[in-house]
Amino acid sequence: MPKDAVRRKLGSGVLNRGDRLFFGITSAASYFAFILVALILVFLVAQALPALKEQGLAFIYGSTWEVTPEKAVMQIGPMLYGSVLIALLGVLLATPMAIATAYLIVFILPKNAAKLATNLIDLLAALPSVIIGLWGVLVFTPIAQGWADFLHKYLGWIPLFSTEKGTTSLNSSPFIAGWIVAVMIVPIITSVTREIFSQFDRELISGALALGATRWTVFRRVILPTSSGGITGGVLLGLGRAIGETVAIYYVLQLSMKINLFQILEPRGGAIASWILSRFGEANEVEFHGLMAAGLVIFITTLVINLIANLIVNKAQPWRK
Amino acid sequence: MTDPRPAKQPWNKSSKVASFKGGRGFADAILIVVSLLLSAVVFALLLSVLWSVISAGAGALSPQFIYQNNRYISTTTSLEYGGVGHAILGTLWLVLLATAAALPLGLAIAVYLTQSQSKLRNLVRSITQALAGLPSVVSGLFVLSIISFLGAQKSGIFGAMALFPLMLPTVARVAEEALRLVPTDLRLAALGLGAPNYRAFFQVILPAAKSGVITALLLGLARVVGETAPLILTIQANNGTNLNPFDGGVATLPTYIYGFISAGYASSITRAWGASLVLLVLVGILFITARLLTSDKKRKKSKGTK
Repeated sequence: MPKDAVRRKLGSGVLNRGDRLFFGITSAASYFAFILVALILVFLVAQALPALKEQGLAFIYGSTWEVTPEKAVMQIGPMLYGSVLIALLGVLLATPMAIATAYLIVFILPKNAAKLATNLIDLLAALPSVIIGLWGVLVFTPIAQGWADFLHKYLGWIPLFSTEKGTTSLNSSPFIAGWIVAVMIVPIITSVTREIFSQFDRELISGALALGATRWTVFRRVILPTSSGGITGGVLLGLGRAIGETVAIYYVLQLSMKINLFQILEPRGGAIASWILSRFGEANEVEFHGLMAAGLVIFITTLVINLIANLIVNKAQPWRK
Repeated sequence: MTDPRPAKQPWNKSSKVASFKGGRGFADAILIVVSLLLSAVVFALLLSVLWSVISAGAGALSPQFIYQNNRYISTTTSLEYGGVGHAILGTLWLVLLATAAALPLGLAIAVYLTQSQSKLRNLVRSITQALAGLPSVVSGLFVLSIISFLGAQKSGIFGAMALFPLMLPTVARVAEEALRLVPTDLRLAALGLGAPNYRAFFQVILPAAKSGVITALLLGLARVVGETAPLILTIQANNGTNLNPFDGGVATLPTYIYGFISAGYASSITRAWGASLVLLVLVGILFITARLLTSDKKRKKSKGTK
């Protein structure tokens, strides 16, 4: 690319003192980004180590959390599992909505309406999670409870929608938390998908239409296969966000150390970040380290997911470079 | 004599797919209907959030709700007394402190990514992107571990520190996009006239990208102004106004909302809705200003090329 050639040439000259300072400062700032990630890791590991040593590997998969002044057993298995379950539910709900919205914005709506819709979706991304949480528990939960009752009544024979005996009200469940998470990650997936759709080679589509393809065939055979990689990246970005979500889930979910494997309508579930928030207030010294260890688990999980997601998204959006 | 070409060439009018009336077949109709329905769900959810906050929050709003603080107010005090004045000030103050660090650093990273020839650029971009996915609770725990390491008391400055890693990637990414939009010719012209890189940046590129950089700032602010979890972990609540970041508790809008929801009384919930409305207005102002600036820039740019 000619642009790169110019760049390389510019750098080959000898820099004067002002420029050396200028690039020195900007490089230092950029390396600071690495240092920041390293610092987060180092501080979390240092604080988590006492608990991790004490609890061993059972910290990850065990399902007891009992802290007394004499003895502390801290295991986050159900919370970690619950986080993943809710994140998957959220992604499952959000992905079709996001793809549909992106398709609507790019291929159906006229330009002005598309712009308005894009702005609205971005506004949804900017809504603070505490507001989503407040709305989730007071406005959305009663509505979603109706949906849950419906699902349970007619599809209750499917294990996924079954409940335990004695459960009467289907609120505070992973189902509702999944919806709340979906509300928060729809904008992320939509904006990645929309960008990929909007950069789509129109001649490919025109060509397909000229060959007699219908809108549906174009979507199924041209648009989806070409952009599925990028959409996967966007979905992973959403997954990372969902696993780290704290306050909103804290309000709409009944946290329980009794693991809830698949009964998504049961008012009992786990979310590791919300667990930290719920225990944090009354934590003593020992439990403090345990919560730090839980934070470390979230950090590593989301960091890995995000690195992979960005790798995929960047590959799918070569025009960004 | 007569022009053989038609006045309009309909096949050339637009390359937009929307102009192709691909209405054939049942599957097409299903595709459009499903896509409309699913996106209608998204917009319905968004509008439901906005409407709930506005309608429920309006009940709490009054002049004194905006400027009074929360001293001598319990969770059941009637709404004629007390307000979120202290929390508004606290939020603005903490966010400002975070900005003081995040804006210069984010801008410097953007400059590094667009102006330097370093081979590490892609690595820096990846790590900044990865930082953008940092869960807010982890940022709070990170600063909390610093507090415990230092043996310090929780105070406002730590809240700002917890907001900083969340704000930095947003500022860096949007500023990078803004700097990228400046035509390379401008920079080359400045360098060709003998300006060193730093003068080319400060006197040519930065003024040209001014509105984009302000957009980066505003979107960064909007990103952190509503962050709750990191503040719950790193600052102490306060019912009065406290602008000393090194001592004592600070009230912020998100933690105020959190506290009053948790209390659970009807009047405290109304206060939470009211504070949510104030927060929503803050986010809305930041967001809309940022959007107006961006569309302004685009209009100017398209005029320039014509």
